[in-house]
Amino acid sequence: MKLTIERAALLRALGHVQSAVERRNTIPILSNVLLSADRDRLTFSATDLDMEIVDEAVAQVDQPGQITAPAHTLYEIVRKLPEGADVSLSFTGEDPRLTVAAGRSRFNLPVLPAGDFPVMSSEGFAGSMAVDVNDLIRLIDKTRFAISAEETRYYLNGLYLHTIIVDGQARLRAVATDGSRLALADMPAPEGAAGAPGVIVPRKTIGEARRLLEDAGETVDLQISPQKIRMELNGAALTSKVIDGNFPDYGRVIPKDNNRTVMVDAKLFAQAVDRVATISAEKSRSVRMAIESGRVVLTVRNMEAGQAVEELEIDYDGEPFELSFNARYLLDITDQISGGTAELRFGGPNDPALVLDPADADVQYILMPLRV
Amino acid sequence: MPIRRLPTELINRIAAGEVVERPASAVKELVENALDAGASEVQVQADGGGLTRILVADDGGGLTADELPLAVERHATSKLAPDDAGDYDLLRIATLGFRGEALPSIGSVARLSITSRARGQADAHAIFVDGGAVGQVSPAAFPGPHGARVEVRDLFYATPARLKFMKSERSEAQAITEELKRQAMAHEAVGFALDLDGRRTLRLPAEAPGDEGRLARLGAIMGREFSDNALLIDHEREGVRLSGYAGLPTYNRGNAAHQYLFVNGRPVRDRLLQGALRGAYADFLARDRHPACALYVELDPGLVDVNVHPAKAEVRFRDPALVRGLIVGGLRHALAAAGHRASTTVAMAALGGFRAETMPPVPHRPSGGGFSAWAQGGWTPTPTAQAIPGLSEVSARAEPEPDLAGFADAPAATPAFDLVDFPLGAARAQVHETYIVAQTRDGMVIVDQHAAHERLVYERMKAEMAEGGVARQALLLPEVVELDPAEAERVAARADELAALGLVVEPFGPGAVLVREVPALLGDTDVIGLVRDIADDLSENGSALALKERLEEVCGTMACHGSVRSGRRLTAPEMNALLRQMEATPHSGQCNHGRPTYVELKLADIERLFGRR
Repeated sequence: MKLTIERAALLRALGHVQSAVERRNTIPILSNVLLSADRDRLTFSATDLDMEIVDEAVAQVDQPGQITAPAHTLYEIVRKLPEGADVSLSFTGEDPRLTVAAGRSRFNLPVLPAGDFPVMSSEGFAGSMAVDVNDLIRLIDKTRFAISAEETRYYLNGLYLHTIIVDGQARLRAVATDGSRLALADMPAPEGAAGAPGVIVPRKTIGEARRLLEDAGETVDLQISPQKIRMELNGAALTSKVIDGNFPDYGRVIPKDNNRTVMVDAKLFAQAVDRVATISAEKSRSVRMAIESGRVVLTVRNMEAGQAVEELEIDYDGEPFELSFNARYLLDITDQISGGTAELRFGGPNDPALVLDPADADVQYILMPLRV
Repeated sequence: MPIRRLPTELINRIAAGEVVERPASAVKELVENALDAGASEVQVQADGGGLTRILVADDGGGLTADELPLAVERHATSKLAPDDAGDYDLLRIATLGFRGEALPSIGSVARLSITSRARGQADAHAIFVDGGAVGQVSPAAFPGPHGARVEVRDLFYATPARLKFMKSERSEAQAITEELKRQAMAHEAVGFALDLDGRRTLRLPAEAPGDEGRLARLGAIMGREFSDNALLIDHEREGVRLSGYAGLPTYNRGNAAHQYLFVNGRPVRDRLLQGALRGAYADFLARDRHPACALYVELDPGLVDVNVHPAKAEVRFRDPALVRGLIVGGLRHALAAAGHRASTTVAMAALGGFRAETMPPVPHRPSGGGFSAWAQGGWTPTPTAQAIPGLSEVSARAEPEPDLAGFADAPAATPAFDLVDFPLGAARAQVHETYIVAQTRDGMVIVDQHAAHERLVYERMKAEMAEGGVARQALLLPEVVELDPAEAERVAARADELAALGLVVEPFGPGAVLVREVPALLGDTDVIGLVRDIADDLSENGSALALKERLEEVCGTMACHGSVRSGRRLTAPEMNALLRQMEATPHSGQCNHGRPTYVELKLADIERLFGRR
C-alpha cells in the first residue's frame, strides 16, 4: 500500500473514526484503524466491537492495499503535522511497519494484518429514512443528558428512539431517563420511518453520532433493525449494536393532571438555582422551592456551609406549596428550554413535576422531587 | 423391617455422636463438670490428641460412692433439682451442664474411670465403664482432700467409624487447647493447667475474681498486646450485664478468630456477636479487618435458652435485639470514651522501626533551635480548652509529673498557658510536609495530617447527616427487586429503619420489594445490588449495615477530598488548631480505615532508644 493524502482530509477522517477506539484494549487489533487504499480513495474503519465508524477521504493511491495501524497514535501524529502538508503512507514488503512521512518527519508504526480486523456486517436493515440533520441533532441534544450512567439498569444506558402516533400523526421520538428524571423530544416522522422498530441506542453511539452530525450535510440516512442502527452521512457511516432490552413504559409516568402551573423565566431561574446551590456541599444538592402566588423562594440550608435564599418572580396564582429538587437536575432541564420561559407543572409534593417549553411543544421533561 | 426399641447402650452411643464429637468436646464436658463442682484448680492431660488418654482432675466437691454409679447413668444429674412443687425448670439453668449426658456418652464409646473423694469423706472410690458396660464401685486412692479425677482412655474405640473421622493428633490437641482456653477465659478465678503428651503447654494460675484478674487472664491467653490495648466494657441494661474487654480499633486482626462471647460463663459462638461487633466498629475499621474482644453477657438464666445445641455451643436469647443493642451500645460507649487513644502497638512498632545505627555525622544546624523560635509566640494560642468528655483518662496521663518539670521549660516559653499540657501537646514542626511533630509534657506525638484531618471532616459530616436527616430522591420508575420470599419479608419488616436512612421500600408481592426512594447522597446507584446487600446483612447480622456503610463510604470519600492533603505546608497556628480539634473530636485516634492518625512516643521510650535507661 502506498499513497499520498492531504493532511486536512486525513485528519478529518481519522478524527471521525478514532474516537470509536477505546483507549485500552485487551484485543490489540481493536486499538488500530483499518486503512484501505483503492482507486482514488482511502477508507478508514474503527470499531470497539459494539460500534463501527467508517469514513473515507480522497487520496492519490499509487499502490492499493490494506493495513491496520494504531489509531490514536496515527491521529496524534497527523494532528501535529504542519497545516497543508502532504502525508505519504506506505506499507511495502521492505519494512514490516507503516511509514508515515510528511516534509522532514518520518514515523514507523507497528501494524497488524488487515485480514484480522473485525468488520461489522451492515446487513439486515429493512429500509432507510432520510432525516434532517438539525432535527436529529435537536432530538439528541434535548434528551441525552438524562441517559443513565448506572450500569445495572442497562436498558436505561441509551436513548430510546422509536416512532409513535400522536393525534393521528406519526412522530419520531427520543426518550432518555435515569430513573429519577426523564427527557422526551419529538419530531415529525420522516418518510420510511413507519414500521421501524423502537431501539435503545447506547450512550457512546449517541455521543459519536452527535459528533459526526457536526460535519454532516443536510440529511442523514438512518437505518434501523431490531439489533442495529446505521447512520450514513457525507461518506461516513456509523453502525452500532443497540441495547438488547425493553425500555420501560414511560407513558405511564408522564403526569396527566398536574394542575399547578408555574411560569418562570428560564434563565433567571437557572441562575438563581445555580447561585443558591453553591451552598449545598453535599452530593444531593437539595434545593427547596417554596411557591406562592407571584413568587418562588429558593432555599438551600447546609449545617456547615450556611444558608442561601433567593426570591424570584413567577407567574402563579394559587395555593402556596413547597417541594425540593436536586439542583443539578433542575439545571440540566432548564438548560434545555429554548424559549425565555419555562412552564413547570406540579402535582402533589410527592408527584413528579412536568417541565414544558412553551417555545417548543415537542419536548417534555419529568423530574421527581427530593424528600427531606 | 419391624420397628424395635434400641438397646440403651446403642442409644448412648448415638447420643455420644452428638455430645462427644471429638476429644475436645469430651474435654469440654469434663471441664464443665469440674467447674460446676466448684473446682478452684482444673488440670487436664491429653495424650495422642486426646484419643489415647484424657485426664481431667479437679478439687471440686467430688462424688460419694453412692453417686458414682448414678453419674454414669444416662439422664442422671445433680444439676437439676425439682422445685417445691416437684417440677423441673429447664428455663432456669444456672450450671454449665444439666442434661446428664456427658459421662454416659463418653462411657459408651471409651474406657472411662472416675475416681473421687467427696468433700468431708474419708474414703475415695472409683468406678469403671468400658464401652458402655458399667463396673462395680470399688475403694480407691485419691491424692487430694476432695475432688474428682476422670480418665478417658481409647476414646471412640467402641465406634470405629467415628475414629476414622478424627483429624491428626496435632489438630485434635490444638482443639483441646482452644477449648480449654475458652473455658479459662470464662473462669478467671479458677487455675488451669494442660499437659499434652506429658508436656506442660498451658499454665494459667488462678487470678483474683473481677475485672483485673480477668484482664490478666485474657492477657495470658490472647497475648500481652491485647491486654495493653483493651478497653474495659461494663454496661448494664434491663438486667442484662455486659462486661469484658474489647480491643482498640487500631489493634485489629485479619480474621474474626479473636472474638469471644460468653453467656453466663459459657463460651458460645453466635452470629449475633459478629454482627454487633461489625456495627460497633463500623466507623473505625475497614471491612476486612476485625477487632479482638472477649465479652461476657450475664443475664437471668430464664432469658436465655441454652438447650438448643447438644454441645451447647449456641444459645438463644429471648430478646436478641436487647443483647445486640447492649453489645453495640457498650462497645460504642467505650470506644467513644477512648477518644483518640491509638494502640500502643503502633507506637511499639514505630519504636521498633528505629535503629541505633551509627550514622554519618549530620552537619549541625547552627540555628539555636529553629523550632523553638516558632514556639515562642508569633501566634496566639486558640484556647479550645473545653473540658472534653471521655478524655479525662488520657489527659491524666499527660499531667505534668514533678520530676519532669525541668524538661518542660526547655523550648516553650510559657504563654498564657502551656500548649504542652494538652494531650496532643504543642506543635513543634512539620516534617516532610506530611507529619506534625508535637511535644507533650511527657513525650512527643507524630500526627499524620491528612489522616487526622480526614477523620475530623468525616466526623463532622456524620454529625451533620444525623442532624439533618438523609435527603431522598424519589424514583420516577420505582425499582422492583426480586429476592427470596423470606428475604423480601425481612427487608420489608425493616422499612421504617431503612426509610430513616433514605431508602423507601414497600413489599411487592411475595419475593419482591419495590424501591420508591433512594438516598440522594448515593446519586445514580445500583439499587438492586444495594437491596440485595441489605437483605444479606439482615439475614447474617440482623441489621441493615450495608446501607449505613454505603452512606458512610460516600461521606468518607467526600471527607478525603475535603481534607488537608499530605504535602501541604502548614503554619504553626494551623498545626496547633488541628491538634486542638483532634482532642475535641471523638474517635480522632484512627482514620476511617482503622489506621492510627497519630503515634505517641513517651519520653521514657525515647530515652530507652538512646540507652539512657
